[in-house]
Amino acid sequence: MIALSTLAVSSQAFAVQYMTAEEAQHAMFAEATAFKDVSVHLNAEQMNEVQKLAGVAARSVGWHVLAAYKGDVLLGYMVQDEVIGKYELISYAVGLNPDASVRQVEILNYRESHGSEIKNAAWRKQFVNKTAQTGLRPGEDIATISGATLSCTHVTDGVRRIAAIAQVVFKKGS
Amino acid sequence: MRRARPLLGTLVDIEASGKYAAVAIEAAFGLIAEVHRLMSFHEFDSDVSRINRAVAGVPVSISQRTHEVLQFAQRLSVLSAGRFDVSIGREMVSAGLLPVPADAREPAEDVSFQDLALLPNAQILLKKQLWIDLGGIAKGYAVDCAIQLLREHQVDSALVNAGGDLRLFGPARPVHVRNPSLPGALISLGMLDNCAVASSSGMYSTSHSDALVDKKNRACVRWNQSISVIAPDCMSADALTKIVRLCPDQAQDILEQYRAEAVFIPHTPTAKNRQVHQ
Repeated sequence: MIALSTLAVSSQAFAVQYMTAEEAQHAMFAEATAFKDVSVHLNAEQMNEVQKLAGVAARSVGWHVLAAYKGDVLLGYMVQDEVIGKYELISYAVGLNPDASVRQVEILNYRESHGSEIKNAAWRKQFVNKTAQTGLRPGEDIATISGATLSCTHVTDGVRRIAAIAQVVFKKGS
Repeated sequence: MRRARPLLGTLVDIEASGKYAAVAIEAAFGLIAEVHRLMSFHEFDSDVSRINRAVAGVPVSISQRTHEVLQFAQRLSVLSAGRFDVSIGREMVSAGLLPVPADAREPAEDVSFQDLALLPNAQILLKKQLWIDLGGIAKGYAVDCAIQLLREHQVDSALVNAGGDLRLFGPARPVHVRNPSLPGALISLGMLDNCAVASSSGMYSTSHSDALVDKKNRACVRWNQSISVIAPDCMSADALTKIVRLCPDQAQDILEQYRAEAVFIPHTPTAKNRQVHQ
């Protein structure tokens, strides 16, 4: 047994920027020649359908969706979303094929805080409209970069929700 | 270049530099997804699920990769006199840590790794009905596969981090582990290169301890300190965190065999009483 001497305590909050939404859309649809904003507003019936398909609440009415085209041919969609956990905020994008199957998931950025910042109402407020209506689920989704395991439950729930939205809105409309 | 995707039940973060980094990272994620498909307890068609549905006495063909992981696990089971054991599916399900596998027969009560025989040509045979879980090592194995692939793509440096189990090569860089008493604060393990680090901690456990079953006592282990293992590869590091927790008395010898070191961080408000094993 020897004492570990190289010890240092560092930051209380950290963030990683993996890619921008624009980089993600080109990574997912490299062959695309055009992207069109086809953002959706779910009606009550659609929200119910999404919940039935995904097993999680549709959460928001409005969703930011881009459609990727090569000439006139629809290649698929990209939906952007954010999930908030107890200590982390994860922004991600889901690429979907025209048949609403998931093509690719990319984490855009990740932000974590364990310090006073997260307890600060003003800081939290900026994410309020991004939070699931069901609220936070404490103790279930603690983030870590090096150490204990980070649960990606919120992201996987989010991907399932987005796949259901695509199924309800785009597949049925095609 | 740095990318992250949700895989292996966590966020997998891959960083690589060099001319072919983008292609290499894409391929590495693909390979991790394949390991996930093979070794997931939850996916119906994984090797693990096929083993758990197998009928005792009938050989099952599995992938070379899963066979390799099972070989590693069996060796560690022997070295730890059965404290490390992948046949803990039953206990994990009883504890509510895993769902009951679909279409699987009820496992026998008193089973161990010795009831799972590894046959040539990537086949296995159950001597008794049992359920395996590779949760304790598959993540580390997936990291190793990704690192090997990144090397083959001749990237200059790389770091793969699957929710705290990480491996890197290239220039040495600082690696940190969380302070269990202050999750927002990090404790430096020093500058590391060409090695893997895995950590195991009960610090976030609330309703149940993190997923570790003590085969001898057939119970989930509670834990209130953080343990990190530094090893040449991530599967060893991942598995050895469990060894240190399950059999502290034999841990030193086993760590030496794998050229690994363990670092403890006790759960104290100041976290000053850190010690290094070996």
